[in-house]
Amino acid sequence: MERTLAYDGELAKFQPLGHILCYDDFDRGPCGWLNLMPNYTLENLGVRDSIVEKTQWGPIMLSSATFRFPGTHGSMNGTYSLKLATRPVAAPYLQPPAPGSISHAIKRMTTHRKPGLLQFETWYAYTPEQDRWGLSEKDIRAFGICFDLQDAESRSFVGLRYLNSVNGEMKKQWQYMSASDVSDEEWAYGTSGDWCKRGIDPIWYGRRYDDGSTDGFQFVPDGRQELCYNESDDKINWIYLRLLYDMEKKEYVEFQSRDRVFDLRGLSPGGSPPYARIEGLLNPVIWVETDTDRRAFLFVDSVVISMA
Amino acid sequence: MTTTVEQRKDFTGDFDTHPMEGAWAGEAIFFLTIESLPQAGTVLNVRVQISADGVNWMDEGTAFPALGEVGHYFVKVRHFGGWLRLKGRVQQRSEAEDESAAAVPATANLSIHLALKA
Repeated sequence: MERTLAYDGELAKFQPLGHILCYDDFDRGPCGWLNLMPNYTLENLGVRDSIVEKTQWGPIMLSSATFRFPGTHGSMNGTYSLKLATRPVAAPYLQPPAPGSISHAIKRMTTHRKPGLLQFETWYAYTPEQDRWGLSEKDIRAFGICFDLQDAESRSFVGLRYLNSVNGEMKKQWQYMSASDVSDEEWAYGTSGDWCKRGIDPIWYGRRYDDGSTDGFQFVPDGRQELCYNESDDKINWIYLRLLYDMEKKEYVEFQSRDRVFDLRGLSPGGSPPYARIEGLLNPVIWVETDTDRRAFLFVDSVVISMA
Repeated sequence: MTTTVEQRKDFTGDFDTHPMEGAWAGEAIFFLTIESLPQAGTVLNVRVQISADGVNWMDEGTAFPALGEVGHYFVKVRHFGGWLRLKGRVQQRSEAEDESAAAVPATANLSIHLALKA
């Protein structure tokens, strides 16, 4: 049956596939997005030991994007965006992320359609906290979007990362999630006994290398791109990002950043053996990483998740 | 909307909490949980601060009473503008009573929630 939908005019800034799972404009509230946290299953709501401390990530909030002298930016179509804010701490790039050096937002859903095309679209902006003078583009290490997916056969992390800066050196390169052929111990920075398996949670796990790659992220071919950071830390510009994935083939299709489309066909995110109790998982995730001792902010105006 | 601002984190000496935006909300409650006080005689003084820009802060006027026991506490705030945080100090009781006393490192393990409502 063909359906004719009258879109909210504000949806015109997106290119959704035929079936929209969610259109989250944060002027309406958090829309199901919340802080990403570990599993509180041990005594007194404790968490399992890990090389990566996961209880201190920077908290999200609804933001009016207000700065000292510009005042309130608001959002693209209103006042509020979802702001991810790291804590003012970072470890050198080759080390595991420092506690609080990343802030994530996650929305927890499950699949309800046959595997097909799956798309993540967002309008976002980024800048560090303007707690000092200067131009601070290099203080943002990276940001990204991904899906955490699981079917009966495997769990896959499908996503993109804009590697902006490594230890203060600008990179400005796109990467896609795909786990290298390493052991679970190597994936957990050479430690044994960590609960995590190779391929899972590449935002934190997977060894980092001097060139900016990791065991969880590969560089997109010809993936360098200028974004609109602007000329001052208190000016933000809304930027479009779209990731298209084929759930049936378990392959990337393409992504669009600003007006440029990057072909990803034939590239696989890889998969890991399924975890218990999460079959059908469809969790979109957004994150930002700081590169130094200051808070990095990612403002998310809105998100559309759609399928075909 | 409730956010865990700080989670089971050790605080020593002067501290401030993660800056939180709340311009959309008309009322706020800071819940402060003292998870543990490893040293006897530790006292905690905590107050609410507001800001125009999230960088420069001033006292709002609301404060917790001096706290020296593990437990759950809260303060309410209204008409706070756009930003909220807590500013606090963890110290030994003897130090609190006599500013000239030798500083003894004291630690408080805290969880802090911010509940915002339109």
